[in-house]
Amino acid sequence: MSVGRATVYIVEDDPSFRKSMERLIQASGFKVVALEDADSFLKQRYIRRPGCLLLDVQLPGIDGLDLQQKLLEKGSRLPIIFMTGHGSIPMSVQAMKQGAVDFLPKPFEARDLRSAIIKALEGDIQERKKEIQENKIKSLVETLTPREKEVLRWIITGKLNKQIAFALGTTEKTIKVHRSRVMQKTKVSSVAELVRLAEKVNISPAA
Amino acid sequence: MNWVTIIWSMAASACLTLAAIHLLVWYKKRTAWANLLFSMMAVATAALAYCELSMMRAQTPGQFATALRWLHVPSWVLIVSLAGFVRLYLHAGRMWLGWVTCGLRTLSLLLNFLVGQNLNYLEVTRLRHIPFFGESVSVAEGVSNPWMLVGQLSLLLLVIFVSDATLTVWRRGDRRRALVVGGSIVFFALAVTVQAVLVLWQIVHAPITASFFYLGIVAAMGYELSREALRAEQLSDDLSESKARVSLAADSAGAGLWSWDFKTGRIWVTEKARELYGFSPDENINSDKFLSTIHPHDRDRVSYSAQEAYREGTDFRSEYRIVLPDRSIRWIKLQAKAFSKPSGEQGRMMGVSLDISQLKQDNDERTQLRLELVHLARVMTMSELSTSLAHEINQPLGAILNNASAAQLIMSRIKDRPEAIGEILEDIINDSRRAGDIVRKIRGLVNKADVQFEPLPMNALIEDVVELFRNSININKVSLFLDLQPDLAQVRGDRVHLQQVLLNLITNALDAMKGSPGTLTIRSSMPASDIVRVSVSDSGPGIDEAKKGHVFEPFFTTKKDGLGMGLRICKSIIEEHGGRIWAESHPGAGATFRFSLKAWKGESE
Repeated sequence: MSVGRATVYIVEDDPSFRKSMERLIQASGFKVVALEDADSFLKQRYIRRPGCLLLDVQLPGIDGLDLQQKLLEKGSRLPIIFMTGHGSIPMSVQAMKQGAVDFLPKPFEARDLRSAIIKALEGDIQERKKEIQENKIKSLVETLTPREKEVLRWIITGKLNKQIAFALGTTEKTIKVHRSRVMQKTKVSSVAELVRLAEKVNISPAA
Repeated sequence: MNWVTIIWSMAASACLTLAAIHLLVWYKKRTAWANLLFSMMAVATAALAYCELSMMRAQTPGQFATALRWLHVPSWVLIVSLAGFVRLYLHAGRMWLGWVTCGLRTLSLLLNFLVGQNLNYLEVTRLRHIPFFGESVSVAEGVSNPWMLVGQLSLLLLVIFVSDATLTVWRRGDRRRALVVGGSIVFFALAVTVQAVLVLWQIVHAPITASFFYLGIVAAMGYELSREALRAEQLSDDLSESKARVSLAADSAGAGLWSWDFKTGRIWVTEKARELYGFSPDENINSDKFLSTIHPHDRDRVSYSAQEAYREGTDFRSEYRIVLPDRSIRWIKLQAKAFSKPSGEQGRMMGVSLDISQLKQDNDERTQLRLELVHLARVMTMSELSTSLAHEINQPLGAILNNASAAQLIMSRIKDRPEAIGEILEDIINDSRRAGDIVRKIRGLVNKADVQFEPLPMNALIEDVVELFRNSININKVSLFLDLQPDLAQVRGDRVHLQQVLLNLITNALDAMKGSPGTLTIRSSMPASDIVRVSVSDSGPGIDEAKKGHVFEPFFTTKKDGLGMGLRICKSIIEEHGGRIWAESHPGAGATFRFSLKAWKGESE
C-alpha cells in the first residue's frame, strides 16, 4: 500500500480556492475529490476509504469542527488537516484536541501542504496496517477455546506451568497441552511474541 | 432758688444731655451730620436759655444790654444749624433761601456787635420789674435799634424756607415727618418771630423766652431722631431674622453662606460653610485662612477670576477643589457677588458655596466609563475588521498561491519549457507570500482586547450604561422601561466588555426608534439557576425575515453611516464569555436582542 493509492478529500466552500487546491494536489501527484460542504461529504461513503481530509473551518451549515466531531462519532479514522482564513488559537487547540493532524493558516506553501498531506496519508496507512494486523490477530485469537484463552492470559504473566496449574486447579500436564495449542493456533514461537500479540489486541494478563 | 431759675436751668440741662447723646452718635458714625447739627442746636438752645436767664435777672440796664448782645451768638448758631438740619435731614428746601437766611442772620450778628448796645436796642435806658411765674423779672425800656429788622427778617425767611421744605416733604408723601419736623419748626420759629417783634419793639412788656420755643423744636427733632434709632433697632431685628431665614434655607439646601469684609479681612460664615471648608466651630476666619483652603492647582485660577469679578462688578462663579484639614479633597461650587460701599471704597463680597464632590465624582465615573467604552469599541472594531479583512484577503491570496504552485509543478514535468514562465510563476508565488505576510503582520499589530473575568452584578451594569443614554432618551422622547429581576445571580464576565454589548444593543434600539418615539425595554431574568438572560427591546420597525440571519455578520448594516460591526462585536464578546446572543423580531412590532451568560459559580472557574 502506498500514498499514491490514497485519496485526498477537500471540503471547502470558496469555489476558486477549492479549484486551486484541487489543481495543486493533483499536480503534486495525489488523487483528489473536492466538495463544497460537509453534508455532501457525509452523504458519500468516503469515510471508510484510505486517504485524508482537507477541511475548511468556516463552512456554511455544518462547520469544520462540527464535521470533525460527527466523523469521530461515526468511528471514522480519516486523518483531518484543517485550513482557515483566520485561525484563532482556541479554535486550533480544539481541533488538535479532537485529533486533527495539522492546522494550515491560509495562504499556505505548497511545500507545507504536501508534507502535511504525506504525514496524514502515511499516518492513515499506518493506522490501516495496524488495523489489518489487529484484525488478523483477533481472528487467530477467536480460534482459541475459552479455556485456552484463560491459559493465554496466564502464560503472558510469565508464570511457569506448575504455577498456572495450581492457580487453575488442574495438573501441570494439562497446562502444557493448552500452552502448545495456544502457540500453535496463534502462530507464535515464543512467549515474548505471544505477549506482544496480546498487547496489540488488548488482552490483559491474568491477575 | 426760684421757679424761673429752676425751669430755665432744667431746660438748659435737658438740651445739654440731648446734645451729648447726639454728639456721641455723630462721633460713632461720622456721616450722621443731622445728629451733629442737632447737637449744636441743643447746645445753642442751652446757651440761649442761660442768656435769657441773665437778662431776666439783670440788675442794671448795662447788664441787660450785654446779656442780650451775647444772646445773639447762640441764636446765630441755632438758625444756621436749623437751616442745615432741614436741608440734610429732610433733603428739602430751596438752597438759595437757606443761604439768604444764613446770610441775613450773619449780617444781624455783625450789626449786633457794631451798632448800638445790641441788635435790638441802641440804648437800654432803664429796667422795669414785672411779675413772671410768681416772681419779679427785669424787662428793658430804651431806644429800639432800627437794624433789628434785619434779624427779624432773617427769622421770617427761616419760617418761609422751612415751610417750603415742609411742603416738599408733604408732597413727597412723608406726611408724618413733614408734620413732626417741618410743622414744629415752622410753628415754634413763627412764635419766636412774633415774640421778638412784640417784645423788642416794646409793644408788649414781657421777658424774652425764645429758648422755650427752641426747646419745642429740639424736642420735636429729638423725638424724630430717636424714632430713627428705634427704626435702626427694628431693622437690625429684621435683619437678624432674615439672616436666620436665609441661613435656614441655605442649610437645608446644603449651601454654606459667607460674607467677606475686604477692609478688616474678616469673614463671617454660617455653620454649614464652616463644615464645608473644614473650619472648627469657634475659629476666627480671615482672608488668608479662606484662601489657604484652595487646592494649590486651583489657587491662581480662582483668585484671578475673583479679582476680575470684583473689578468688573460681575458675579463671581467658580468650581474648585479645597484641601480639608485631613488632606482629603472636596469640590466646591461657589457663586458670589462683590458689593462696594457708596463711597466707592472696597466693601464686601458675599457668596454661597456648595459641596459638589459627589456630582464631580459621578461625572468623572461616567466620563471614565465612556472613555473605556469608546476605547474598547475601537479596539474591538479594529480587531473584527482585521479578522474579516484577513479572511477575505487570505482566501483569494491562498487560491493564487495554490494555482501558481500547481502551475510550477506542472511546468516542472514539461521538457523544453519556456524559462520566462518559470520565473513568472516564481514571482507570483513570492508576491503572494509577501501579501500574506503583510496581512499576518497587520493582524499581529491589532491586539485583541484583554478580557478579565470576575463576578459582576448585571443589573448594576445595565443601570450604569442606561445612565449614559439619559440625554438621548429624553431628547428622543423614548419611554424607558427597566424590568430587572431583583435577586439576579452574578455573571461571570468582563465589566467593560459586557457594558460594550449593552451599549451597542441600546444604541441600535434607540436608532431603530429615531423619528417615532417608542419604548425601550431592558429586562434581566434567570431562565435557569445557572443562567442570566438580558433582553433589549425596541418598538421600532423590526428586522426583515430575510435579513434576520445576517445581523451578526461583519459589515452587515441597515444604517446609512453604519460600519456593520456593532452586533458582530456583541457576538464576539458574548461568545468569548461562553454565552449566546440572538435576535427576535416581529416585523412592525420591534426587535428584541437577547443574550444569556453563565452565572458565577465561585473562584474555581
